[in-house]
Amino acid sequence: MSRQAAPGTERLEHGYRRLLACYPRSFRADSEEEVLAVLLAAAAEGQARVGSAEAWDLIRGAVRMWLWPAAPRPRAVRAAVKFMLAGAAAELAVVITMLTTAPAVRAALAAKDAAAVHPVAVRLIVDLGAAPLVIGLWLWLAWANGRGEDWARMISAACFGLVTLSMIAVLGQGGAVYALANVAVASLEWALGLVSVVLIFTPAAWRYYRPQPAQQ
Amino acid sequence: MQEATFLILTALADGAQHGYGIITEVAQISDGRVRLRAGTLYTALDRLRVDGLIGVDREEVVEGRLRRYYRLTPEGTKVLAAEAARLHANATAALTRLRPGLAGGAA
Repeated sequence: MSRQAAPGTERLEHGYRRLLACYPRSFRADSEEEVLAVLLAAAAEGQARVGSAEAWDLIRGAVRMWLWPAAPRPRAVRAAVKFMLAGAAAELAVVITMLTTAPAVRAALAAKDAAAVHPVAVRLIVDLGAAPLVIGLWLWLAWANGRGEDWARMISAACFGLVTLSMIAVLGQGGAVYALANVAVASLEWALGLVSVVLIFTPAAWRYYRPQPAQQ
Repeated sequence: MQEATFLILTALADGAQHGYGIITEVAQISDGRVRLRAGTLYTALDRLRVDGLIGVDREEVVEGRLRRYYRLTPEGTKVLAAEAARLHANATAALTRLRPGLAGGAA
């Protein structure tokens, strides 16, 4: 299995390996030896140093792989990311509708059931306090799903499940304490979550989140 | 679709090729105009693989070095055919307008 390499070839190989070290580890583990073989096959006769054009090409490839890992996102994932960003915007809209409708809800409630005013006010404060976290969660999941992180997809599905259950619980027991506008915006946010989760589990998205190993 | 991607898919249209084979095929198809370098080639191959347009056909070890053959997937064939038809339609339209006497753009 021994290959006798000329000293120039060894130096060239060493130069290529130093450049390939700039690539993400997963790519190197999968493809470094293969790329090296192609680089050496394409090298000029007697070439001992990496040319500036090929060095630039390898560095550019490494930068691309770091900045845009794997492939351009499948359409479904790109759309899911947009829906998640829209989800963050919808949460902001929920906050705005909560703040603007709170006095009306409070007045309506006071007229109907004065004892319920306090718990509803507490819930409003909790909802408003959680809103920045929810917006942050939407943005974080959009970012991580866009990068093809499989755990982000699972967290997205789990969050959607929890939100669905809590919505059913809240609307089931006390939907009346929310203003119509508030329920409408929250339903929109839920629908954005539903569409996002469906999109990140489409077949094209599966390939993006779980690329096939090289050996087939 | 970028020209390099189109040419890589074209190089694989009639059978599996390894990395260096793709470089030489692309040079041949483009009449030597496009000379892919390894960095560009493998960035494209990585993306095409994850997009499901190409797959690994087989691997060999030649002179102690790994050689991996790539092939078009059915999805890749479909995408290449659609892109080729689009380019062909555009080229035909351009030639027809440039040479009104030659309907269909035949040379």
